[in-house]
Amino acid sequence: MTPSPLVLDGLVVGAMLLTLGLVGILSRRNLIVMFLSAELMLQGISVSLVSWSRHHGDWGGQVLVVFVLTVAACEAALALVFVLQAFARTGRLDAAAWQSLRESNLPRTIDLELPASDAEPLTFPRLTPAGVEPDHDPDAALEREHV
Amino acid sequence: MSPDGGLSTTGSLLAMAVGCAAASLWLLLPRGESGMRERAARRFGTLLGAVSLTLFVACGRRLGGIGEEVIFLVVSLVAVVGAAATVVTRSPVYAAIWFALALAGVAGVMLVIGAQFLGVATIVVYAGAILVMFLFVLMLAQPTGMAAYDRVSNEPLLSAVTGAVLLGLLTLFIGRLSAGPADCCSFPLKATALAGGGTAVTGQARQDTDPLAADHVARLGGELFGRHLLAVEAAGVLLLVALVGSIAIVSRTPTEEGTVPQPRRVAP
Repeated sequence: MTPSPLVLDGLVVGAMLLTLGLVGILSRRNLIVMFLSAELMLQGISVSLVSWSRHHGDWGGQVLVVFVLTVAACEAALALVFVLQAFARTGRLDAAAWQSLRESNLPRTIDLELPASDAEPLTFPRLTPAGVEPDHDPDAALEREHV
Repeated sequence: MSPDGGLSTTGSLLAMAVGCAAASLWLLLPRGESGMRERAARRFGTLLGAVSLTLFVACGRRLGGIGEEVIFLVVSLVAVVGAAATVVTRSPVYAAIWFALALAGVAGVMLVIGAQFLGVATIVVYAGAILVMFLFVLMLAQPTGMAAYDRVSNEPLLSAVTGAVLLGLLTLFIGRLSAGPADCCSFPLKATALAGGGTAVTGQARQDTDPLAADHVARLGGELFGRHLLAVEAAGVLLLVALVGSIAIVSRTPTEEGTVPQPRRVAP
């Protein structure tokens, strides 16, 4: 029983998403982007499961995708809590900030000096103040008795 | 991969597509460059990526009708382009936005393949909840600009080559599936087996398992709460445990660097 062309193309799309997620999780250093890449891999697997479900004509693949969604939600919650704690300890979202956890025989990652970024910092327009600022007490404005 | 010439042409096209994809990813990943070199690499990488996607599309199979083909092409391109941009974008906020676009594409692919409920659930759960949570954490943790660690990658060349090898193997295997009846996928359809193992599928069995049936969601729910009821209960417990665990972890405020929080003393 040869799979239909739609099933095969769905499998190819799933393989592409899985590969892109793998490349992201291997190469990026921002913890949040690494977790986004892991979610991309889960999406690729979900597309493959749905394709196989279509091929075999039963609901097993789709039911599995429902559980993949559930586990992804749990995983994202716990992972983000860990990321927040890591940020509170080191002040960076950098995976290399935790390289003291590496194997003892591996060399230490040392960041080279980066060339200065030539990306313009974002500038936002400012409205010119119009009229005369009336007299007001900024402290009194904080004590609002009626809101 | 096949004795006749047509498939080997497809195979070489696929190999070229995978190679172009790897080179494009390597060029697009942040490598700590700046200025003209970075802009040139980004343009060339985008061009190579477009060439790779064109080659993949050229190797694709002809689906049933022109409408189905065009819709599947559009949604899968949205998914793949969004995923690639998620991986290579420097700014993590933009990466999250690109991930939302990839999710929309994935939901479209699921709709086309015949998983209507899952397509909508992906949008609701991922784009509505998980992605918003990611953005919250990003805004809490990295409110300003691009950091230095967003401009460099760990081993971009090696990871791009790894991705190319994996994608090449997967597409090779999927291509073999289409080449003919192999041993790997000769299991009888469940509907066929239920109908007595014969070649003819009765109308009732066909209707029971058709993913495009009108009462798709009802059938999926019946399967979920019938055969997989215990797993649903376990998933509910898992969600509860994750909720309690994340609250327990986040409520432990980290004290000074390196100090272990002392356990609370219990009064005698």
